[in-house]
Amino acid sequence: MVKFAHVSKSFGEIKALVDVSFEVKKGEFVFITGPSGAGKTTLLKLILREILPDTGQVVFDGEDIVGLSQEKVPYLRQKIGVVFQDYKVLSERTVRENVEVPLAVTGVSPDEWEARVNQVLKLVGLDERSELFPAQLSGGELQRVSLARALVINPKLIMADEPTGNLDWETGDAIMELFEKINKEGKTVIMATHNKHVVERLKKRVIELKDGKLVGQTRVKSEEKPKIKVKVEEV
Amino acid sequence: MNIHVKTALDYIKRSPFQALAALFVLTLTFFVGTMLAVLVYSSANLLKYFETRPQIIAFLKDEITPEQVSALQNRLTGDVRVKDVRYVSKEEALEIYKQATSDNPLLSELVSPTIFPASLEFSVMDLSFAQEVINEVKKEGIVDSVGFTASLGGEKTLEDVVGRLRTLTLYLRIGGGVFVGVLAGTSLLVILVITGMRITTRRGEIEILDLIGATPAFIRSPIILEALIYSAVGAFVGWLLAFLIWLYATPSLISYFGDIPILPKGTLNLFGLFAIILVGELLLGVGLALSGSYLAVSRARRNR
Repeated sequence: MVKFAHVSKSFGEIKALVDVSFEVKKGEFVFITGPSGAGKTTLLKLILREILPDTGQVVFDGEDIVGLSQEKVPYLRQKIGVVFQDYKVLSERTVRENVEVPLAVTGVSPDEWEARVNQVLKLVGLDERSELFPAQLSGGELQRVSLARALVINPKLIMADEPTGNLDWETGDAIMELFEKINKEGKTVIMATHNKHVVERLKKRVIELKDGKLVGQTRVKSEEKPKIKVKVEEV
Repeated sequence: MNIHVKTALDYIKRSPFQALAALFVLTLTFFVGTMLAVLVYSSANLLKYFETRPQIIAFLKDEITPEQVSALQNRLTGDVRVKDVRYVSKEEALEIYKQATSDNPLLSELVSPTIFPASLEFSVMDLSFAQEVINEVKKEGIVDSVGFTASLGGEKTLEDVVGRLRTLTLYLRIGGGVFVGVLAGTSLLVILVITGMRITTRRGEIEILDLIGATPAFIRSPIILEALIYSAVGAFVGWLLAFLIWLYATPSLISYFGDIPILPKGTLNLFGLFAIILVGELLLGVGLALSGSYLAVSRARRNR
């Protein structure tokens, strides 16, 4: 589904990513972890074609997106559902309208909107709050709106950048349960987080970044601590 | 409701003063535009009326025979530069005089048909022929003198009258065109500024839409639609105000100008004229909205 091959990216003197290579298969749930400034967000931005790598290849759904023309970028993004740390909901639109926007963007017939929006709002538990505005919602609810908006277009990939970063422990857990549920339904999920609790609880594959370098890929097998830790060179 | 239309209406509702400013300027532009369009139409008709109606009168000598009159009349009728040739006898001339002095019967009682000369009245197809036709007619042996019936404000000749009308029409067209041009330019700037402000205040929203895969056309649509709404409403309201004023003034104008067709005859024709103006103004409004918003969007993209 997603493949990075020797990808490097610098912002001036700062090396955000250095020769990063990995692959995410269809239906996988992968955490991108690492401290602040490790390159997690840069990696997600590369997949979304917000930025271009200095070197290397980024492949999404079998297509090298580095060489993608600017006109085709919106169509790439329409295949990816993104959940942002700061939610990025449209503040002057209701919950329902926020979720409807991607349907309009992708050209789904308005006749289908109501059923699809109701379905995802029910999934994220916001069906009772669909007519409220973002200012009337809590942080957890806003994150659910962001998730519902990402899901409604039935994307091939869901990316989340620190989705629990602004949430309390309990709300964060509820959101993570939703991601797990979505993944079990067959969606590929890539989540950037530095929340160890979340990573350990879900026991999914982990790609660890430090100073822009891929320092390890780990599959957590138990809640206590990782049992398998493989160095990049060995992978 | 279409999501773009809803978004555009939301933009308008959330910035009512910007919307009002845009609507006022556009309404003023199209109000003046409509007034001027009708004035240009009327002045053109007035000019045409005087250009095609000049009655040149060849006063005939007393001793002429009917055969001589017929010969001159036939020659003039056959002349491609001349139209509507009519013979006015001494008796008919007296009748015209009586009608003209009907408010003072004493004046008509004192005259007899013999003091009025018979005449040949005719018009020229184009005013440029007038002088040469007059010169030719003056040379005719049976013609005593040649004169004009049209006269405005003390002008001596028909040429003066038409010349003055032409100058007035020209000034009206140039002055009005410049005025409407300035107003249209102001409207364009207002649309440009408002669209620019809209893009600036909606930068966050545009960024989100961009990230979720909205095409540039999708992002631009509500902004351009908003400008189109301002232009369409401004054009319609401006046109409607001017239409009502003209409608109110039409009976007085028709009565004042009499036979001169400064406005179309018949209600349907009058409505037809205003319908054409409305369509023209709506097209101009669409042009203003598209160019203004396109310029603002291009500028915002360059600055990004």
